[in-house]
Amino acid sequence: MTEPVSGPASDHIGTVRAEHSRLADGEWHRMHPLTPVVRSWRVLIVVLVFIFQGWGDNLARGEGVPELHRPDVAGRVLAGGGAIVLLVLLIGVGFIVASWRTTRFRVADEALELHTGILFRQHRRARLDRVQTVDVVQPFIARLAGLARLTLEVAGGSGSSVSLSYLREEQALALRNHLLAEAAGVHYEGTEAPEAPEHQALEVSVGRLIGSLILSGPAIALVVGVFGFVAVAVIVGDVGPIVGVFPTVVGVAGMLWGRFNGGFGFRVATSPDGLRLRHGLLEQRTQTVPPGRVQAVRISQGLLWRQADWWQVRVNIAGYSGGRDESNSESGNTLLPVGSRYEAISVLALVLPDLGVREPENPWNVIDAGLMASGPDNGYLVAPRRSRWVDPIGWRRSGVRVTEQALLIRRGVLGRSLDVVPHARTQSLGVTQGPLQRRLDIASFALHSTAGPVNPVAAHLDAATAARLLAEQSVRAEGARNTSGPERWMTED
Amino acid sequence: MMAEQPHEAEDDVFDPAGIAWTSVSPGLAAVRRTILIVQLTVVTIALLVAAVLTGWIWLWVALLVPLVGAGFGWATIGRQVAAWGYAERADDLLIKRGLMFRELVVVPYGRMQFVDVQAGPLERAFDVAQVQLHTASAGTDARIPGLNAVEAARLRDRLASRGQAKLAGL
Repeated sequence: MTEPVSGPASDHIGTVRAEHSRLADGEWHRMHPLTPVVRSWRVLIVVLVFIFQGWGDNLARGEGVPELHRPDVAGRVLAGGGAIVLLVLLIGVGFIVASWRTTRFRVADEALELHTGILFRQHRRARLDRVQTVDVVQPFIARLAGLARLTLEVAGGSGSSVSLSYLREEQALALRNHLLAEAAGVHYEGTEAPEAPEHQALEVSVGRLIGSLILSGPAIALVVGVFGFVAVAVIVGDVGPIVGVFPTVVGVAGMLWGRFNGGFGFRVATSPDGLRLRHGLLEQRTQTVPPGRVQAVRISQGLLWRQADWWQVRVNIAGYSGGRDESNSESGNTLLPVGSRYEAISVLALVLPDLGVREPENPWNVIDAGLMASGPDNGYLVAPRRSRWVDPIGWRRSGVRVTEQALLIRRGVLGRSLDVVPHARTQSLGVTQGPLQRRLDIASFALHSTAGPVNPVAAHLDAATAARLLAEQSVRAEGARNTSGPERWMTED
Repeated sequence: MMAEQPHEAEDDVFDPAGIAWTSVSPGLAAVRRTILIVQLTVVTIALLVAAVLTGWIWLWVALLVPLVGAGFGWATIGRQVAAWGYAERADDLLIKRGLMFRELVVVPYGRMQFVDVQAGPLERAFDVAQVQLHTASAGTDARIPGLNAVEAARLRDRLASRGQAKLAGL
């Protein structure tokens, strides 16, 4: 019953099974038939935006909106660009339908295969033992249609994910459970993979999310900027400045909206499949991060969040580099958009259950010192006083703490942050020294992690300390790699 | 004597004890010097033409700049190339570079995803190739320019086999 890959002309829409059928049967399937509709809806929006933008310009020039119900006006619009827009629209829709016809996927043993492309065919095979994350994303329109996109990230560098858009929501969830079970090395009975039981760890309230956005740099800049330009406009008696600053205001407001939309209803849950994150207002996203997939963690706090003691937790996950394309929007790397210090440390503990801090020390104190304190307490190696010449404010808190399992890098006096990199996830190491640092006998120590928001660098350490860290860390990383858990987290390796 | 103190400490960082550094081929200096001379020759000719056409005295004086630049660049390239070095240890590869901005990178073999060997036409003329190691991190800047073709091929194969033996998951 397996269909050949080559032979798109011979098969028909009947390939898509009845709704209750499972997709993980080793045969080729098409995406849901509504996929082209959901996709061309986006094209339509773009076209409409163009049209309205044109009308807006016309209005601004005082020409008014063309009266399309009059045949002569409609004819002129068609002649002057309207026909092109229509043609582009038709071609776009045609292309999307054709692309749906040629797109098919198969859940084979050990791999997910995706076949795409009309002229340039692409056949992608993602190995399930390399899975980094599995996301189920529902953009607003897809949600209305009961559809969802399933994205499998396998850490092959840029654009290595396999995205199945769109499937029926319940099919997407069933397939996710199957893929996670396969990736974990679990073999289940029956036709449907059971959903791993979840235990909700914490939830971000809407009030706190809004508060955190109000107390963020962009929001303050927005308010100050708007007031400033209004004041200027009033003083000079001309609306020019306001009009000029309008695109920036829209951009910043859009960014704030994006953060609100992405962080809305943020819930963190634990399950045997790993960490499960659910969030989103219009676009809802369910991310599953299996154990051991987090490459580095950053707990940070802006200056304005100090009073409320709010913190943000962001992570590096291989293949997930943040804000590059639609499936990896900025929120993808966020483990906690805003939370109390207690919550932030709890989330860190969920990702890295064993920090390698042994008795009589308390891991909680070590992390707390990394977030709040300065000075050498709790085993932090601090930057020497002479580094104030190159880092006049931050030097007080710059420090590194080495535990059995991870390296902690503390920095920032105004805005604070703590980076945690497990030894087993260290890719490579480096020490750099510029001419000024050379004079001061200090050097910067860097851990190279996969692409993402966390860039762990301990700046301006004593040169001898940096050299010692480099030598010791390469040994520690080697040891940790050899003893780290299996890729397939449910198997005994 | 005052300058001696930091000098010793900095040697500690970029020259850990007990490591036998291999330096890169002098062919790399030849490549870079060729590029430098070609660039400065173009600048000199342009200045010369401008000076002859306009007759401004300052343009004749400006001709000194490429000359001084050539001398300075020639010497600096020699020192820069001498600053490159690499060392193969049991579990990792060490690369050091830089004069003003010094850098030392440690790449564990088990972290290596792939190895690139590159050589442009000018490099090939001087029998020089660049070997670059890639890990899962874009931050790993582990390249060794200026290896002769035989050494580059040897290093590539050696790194590949060691990487295979030590390969770990992400």
